[in-house]
Amino acid sequence: MKRYLILIAYEPWDWSAAPEEVRAAFFAQHGAFSAFVAEHGQEVASAALDDTDTATTVRHVDGEVVVTDGPFAETAEMIGGYYEVELPDLDTAIAAVRLLPPSYSLEIRPIVTIT
Amino acid sequence: MIAEALERVVREEWGRLVALLLARYRRLDLVEDALGDAVEAAARAWPADGVPDNPAAWLNTAASRRVLDRLRAEAMRQRRAPLLVTEAERGRERRGAMADTGDLVEDDVLRLVLMCTHPALAPEAASALALRLVLGVSTYDVARLFLVPEPTMAARITRAKKKIVAAGIPFAVPGADVLPDRLDTVAQTAYLAFTAGYAPGSGPDLLRAGLAGEALRLVRVVRALRPTEPVLLALLALMLLQHSRRDARVGPDGDLVLLADQDRGRWHPDEIDEALALLRALGPARVLPRQAAAYVVQARIAAEHATAATAGDTRWDRIVTHYDALLEIMPSPAARLARAVALAEAEGPLAGLAALEEVVLPGSHRPASVRAELLVRAARPAEARVAYEEAITLCRNEVELQHLRGRLAALAPPD
Repeated sequence: MKRYLILIAYEPWDWSAAPEEVRAAFFAQHGAFSAFVAEHGQEVASAALDDTDTATTVRHVDGEVVVTDGPFAETAEMIGGYYEVELPDLDTAIAAVRLLPPSYSLEIRPIVTIT
Repeated sequence: MIAEALERVVREEWGRLVALLLARYRRLDLVEDALGDAVEAAARAWPADGVPDNPAAWLNTAASRRVLDRLRAEAMRQRRAPLLVTEAERGRERRGAMADTGDLVEDDVLRLVLMCTHPALAPEAASALALRLVLGVSTYDVARLFLVPEPTMAARITRAKKKIVAAGIPFAVPGADVLPDRLDTVAQTAYLAFTAGYAPGSGPDLLRAGLAGEALRLVRVVRALRPTEPVLLALLALMLLQHSRRDARVGPDGDLVLLADQDRGRWHPDEIDEALALLRALGPARVLPRQAAAYVVQARIAAEHATAATAGDTRWDRIVTHYDALLEIMPSPAARLARAVALAEAEGPLAGLAALEEVVLPGSHRPASVRAELLVRAARPAEARVAYEEAITLCRNEVELQHLRGRLAALAPPD
């Protein structure tokens, strides 16, 4: 079994303005993903993230701590959420994330243990 | 003698050994190292003990011992009983693993090929890795095929292996829904391997027919899964036509025999017939997907040679037209060079030399070698001499070197 973090990225859009069918489809797709993961391994954790305009970035610049408004990197796609899963291999992870909404870009990153 | 026997086993059995060990231990990081150590052990032991009756089995046993030693050492570090660790991990994997029920194809080499050509690997890395692990091609020869320096290729292969382990790319046949997409890459990988066997960059053999035959076997194995897949059929036709000439390419003294001088009676007619039948079934290239189309055009070029009763009957004009089509579908320096050769045959050496000006193939002796030939035909021996000398400094294949030196010596001595 391998542990992966699945990062979900998408272009910002207005969930509150989405019609009921769109929202229902999203829930169904996330449900299919979770069912698939449960069948082949387990879902360790997950979260949806608030929009990037609610983010705060902290960096060390020239010996000072600088706090700024906004996400780490300004990109067209924003990180909107994550799943932490335990699955047998990459092919299973790919098969699982294919079930998620098609508007997503997904990064599958192995988790390492620091010893 | 021993060194040759060992080298032969490595060349012919590497992929099967890697696949067998991977199937048993599932640890890519340990398997290749263990096999490398086993080869070194053989190099030390066989001169004293003699070549074993079954050299591949000897290497398998030696490598297995080393893998088990490493697994035990790891388990000790984690302070758990080694047997329990391995069984427990394997049990979890069997329950969770997808798709590969072992029903599709009982071929560990195919699993290895699909692992090496996984889309999560960068394409050049995938091809390089498959050549290295599946067909045991040396890192130098792989580097030559990709026209990059050897250290670059070594690093690329190491990174690819690390990615497989880190990302959990499985040693398995994928589900039937994604298998078709995986086949283009497999085809490209197989053709690169075939080319390595057809005209390798280093060493004494002009033809490593065993490697070419192995690449052919690879394509047949994959085609058995997907019997009507155009890219596999087209590639098989191309490979069969080129492979059919293998017994005529090397003379009795081991020297190179050019296509024009080959004894066509030594070509394999059954392989040619099989290829021509495949081409008839495939139809026009323009309706095929890009990779399949490129292979079809190259196969048709090879078919022009195969169906010409003598070298003089070859329809070079048609071959030039095919190369024009190929350069539209999939331009490459190698294709441009081959077109220049064909143009010289169809329209004379000056036309060929003009076309050669546009060929850029760094690190390869072939453009210089072709230029030299055409300059001889154009009755410009002084320039030909310079070109032969350039080709000789670049050439790493001993049989081709001998040929070039012979051609240079045959020139009239300089004034």
